[in-house]
Amino acid sequence: MDDETREMLHQTAESIFADGPPDLWEVLRSVGIDKALVPESKGGVGVSWAIACELLGIAGKHAAAVPLAEAMIGHWLLDLAGIEDAELPTIAFSAPLEPVRLSRSGDEWHVDGALVRVPWGSACTHVAFISEGPAPQLIVVSRRASGVSVTPGQNLAGEPRDDMTLEGVAPLAVVPAPFESNSVLAIAAVMRSAQMAGAIERALDLTVDYANMRVQFGRPIGKFQAVQQSIAVLATQAAAARAATEAGSEAIDVWIVGEDESLMRSVAVASAKIRTGESAGEAAAISHQVFGAIGFTEEHELHRFTKRLWSWRDEYGSEAFWADVIGESILGNESEKTLWRTLAPTRSSLDIGATR
Amino acid sequence: MSNLSFPRPRQSEVGERLRTEVREFLDDFDWRGDPHAASAFGGFDPEFSEALGARGWIGMGFPKSYGGGGYGLVERYAVLEELLAARAPISAHSVADRQSGQLLLRFGSERQREEILPGIAAGKSYFCIGMSEPDSGSDLASVRTRATKVDGGWLVNGAKIWTTNAHRSHYMILLCRTSPSSQERHAGLSQFLVDMKTPGIVCRPIVNIAGVEDFNEVHLQDAFLPDEALIGVEGDGWKQVTSELAFERSGPERFLSHLSVLEEFVRVLKSQPSAVGTRALGRLVAHLVTLRRMSRSVATMIADGQDAALHAALVKDLGTCFEQEIPEILRLALQAEPDPHAADSYRAALAYVVLNAPSCTIRGGTKEVLRSIVAKGLGLR
Repeated sequence: MDDETREMLHQTAESIFADGPPDLWEVLRSVGIDKALVPESKGGVGVSWAIACELLGIAGKHAAAVPLAEAMIGHWLLDLAGIEDAELPTIAFSAPLEPVRLSRSGDEWHVDGALVRVPWGSACTHVAFISEGPAPQLIVVSRRASGVSVTPGQNLAGEPRDDMTLEGVAPLAVVPAPFESNSVLAIAAVMRSAQMAGAIERALDLTVDYANMRVQFGRPIGKFQAVQQSIAVLATQAAAARAATEAGSEAIDVWIVGEDESLMRSVAVASAKIRTGESAGEAAAISHQVFGAIGFTEEHELHRFTKRLWSWRDEYGSEAFWADVIGESILGNESEKTLWRTLAPTRSSLDIGATR
Repeated sequence: MSNLSFPRPRQSEVGERLRTEVREFLDDFDWRGDPHAASAFGGFDPEFSEALGARGWIGMGFPKSYGGGGYGLVERYAVLEELLAARAPISAHSVADRQSGQLLLRFGSERQREEILPGIAAGKSYFCIGMSEPDSGSDLASVRTRATKVDGGWLVNGAKIWTTNAHRSHYMILLCRTSPSSQERHAGLSQFLVDMKTPGIVCRPIVNIAGVEDFNEVHLQDAFLPDEALIGVEGDGWKQVTSELAFERSGPERFLSHLSVLEEFVRVLKSQPSAVGTRALGRLVAHLVTLRRMSRSVATMIADGQDAALHAALVKDLGTCFEQEIPEILRLALQAEPDPHAADSYRAALAYVVLNAPSCTIRGGTKEVLRSIVAKGLGLR
């Protein structure tokens, strides 16, 4: 994809999100952003994961209440399962220790089990997920299939996070998955990080503007060094979040064409969620502090960003979850290599092997 | 806010090849003296510096005509990362390599470059930075050391302080006043290349809290500097020193100087599994790899000729706060009393970082000064 197309996608997304029409999701679908990751030959845009994450950053910057991350991954998985023309696919994971059961009688598959806190689980048309176990299967279920029941839920920002129960559901598709469910979780974690990085940048912008405008003691509060120091920390957290997210999204692009089995083992991916999640907490705290009482009101827009940050940092694995993943991976490494040489391998990222 | 985006770091094939070569060199070179020595950047070792110089790994960015390798900054960065990560003893030449040589290359006279740069590149010529003074720390523009014009040169009077390695350096890059301070406080400053053997210069080492003598008080009394000692243009000292600070602030030394204790931490956890330790390690690694990317991004910007002063300030703030936090996180994860003389190398390394930690957010620009730079860059004023 050339820079010009990328720039055009950015501008399109920026103008749609900034405009924020009442039928935002329909407008996004009409330009095909939800299918950004689907190959062009299949009616998508065929962007890289890095670009998809940039688009999600723009969505996050506008606190857009749309299932863009899930639909992007959902369409990509549905394409792998050979399903076209879905309206709103989402992705799901089973509860820890309670894997979804896939059984077969004759030519028919049946799925039983629970999918927890599925984003837009009630509103979606399709759910894609991967079964656990030695031979993982990519499963697509129709929302309207018999045996699917949904208990609605929400995150702090009011975004749907619905529990879904499957009882003897006949799936639309079951195909051998080219990777484990963990890799989809890793992808989703990076995409959430991208949204968080965007929301943090917006919190920073709002905070800088407010500090320059709000007058106390006869001058804008942004003139006080104590306030300046806090906002500088916020800016630093925003920059770190973005850098970590970009590294994570590039790691997905490398993994897709590479031979590594699980994306979960990528330090860049786990670091994206850890670093961005930490920035999210610090950024939300600093921006609320600078805004004072007005930022604590329902009426003010700040909470549209901070509530998302407080929810998103715990979705698709918290900092603690991903820190355990990195720590276990490093400590489980049998080689005598130093930590540094593990983190900075000399193999050039330019000579990646065969295509997945 | 677009001015705070960090470009994708560039990775060069040459740099990665050099990285491999440096690793082989470090594996073979017998330099690991006292593993408990509590010194920044792994110590002062002229023999090691000369060995590196012979391999062409000092002054890598100098043109070949000055004894350099004609490499780009991205390649130099890869080499420096490896040396720092291994805590190799690069303290002797590191200031000359990092900033003094770059300064002379950029603003020095042809004669200065021809005379000085080959010695730096060979690992034989060591520099110190004459910036801070007893009454001028963060407020660098307030320096009072003064050079007075005399026939054929300048007479310098004043005092510098916190001058790392002054007692064992061949040269100092001196920032001082060449005309009285005026309304425009950044005017009237100049930089000089000072031979530390010049009569009238006296160094007094200062012992730091780790018990190490690496910084100094330097007195200059009627020290005569010839006209040729002036660097660049008289009165342009502030502009020149600002560009020098971008080099001082952007490098990997701002997030790798406490790596050794993390290596030790991994070693301990492998034999003494701990869930808290595993999680602490994962978190610290996430910070480390993110800082590395940001620091490499700054190197890429400087290599491309972009102004990275703001980005460098931001990364130094983030990097040094991370370094400072390392011992605090480790303490929550593992019971161990820091002791510089402990036989256990984890406890010795922990002692080193505990004692060195306060200096991280002070040297090369306090975090408060750096955050002021960032705030100004954000449009808060």
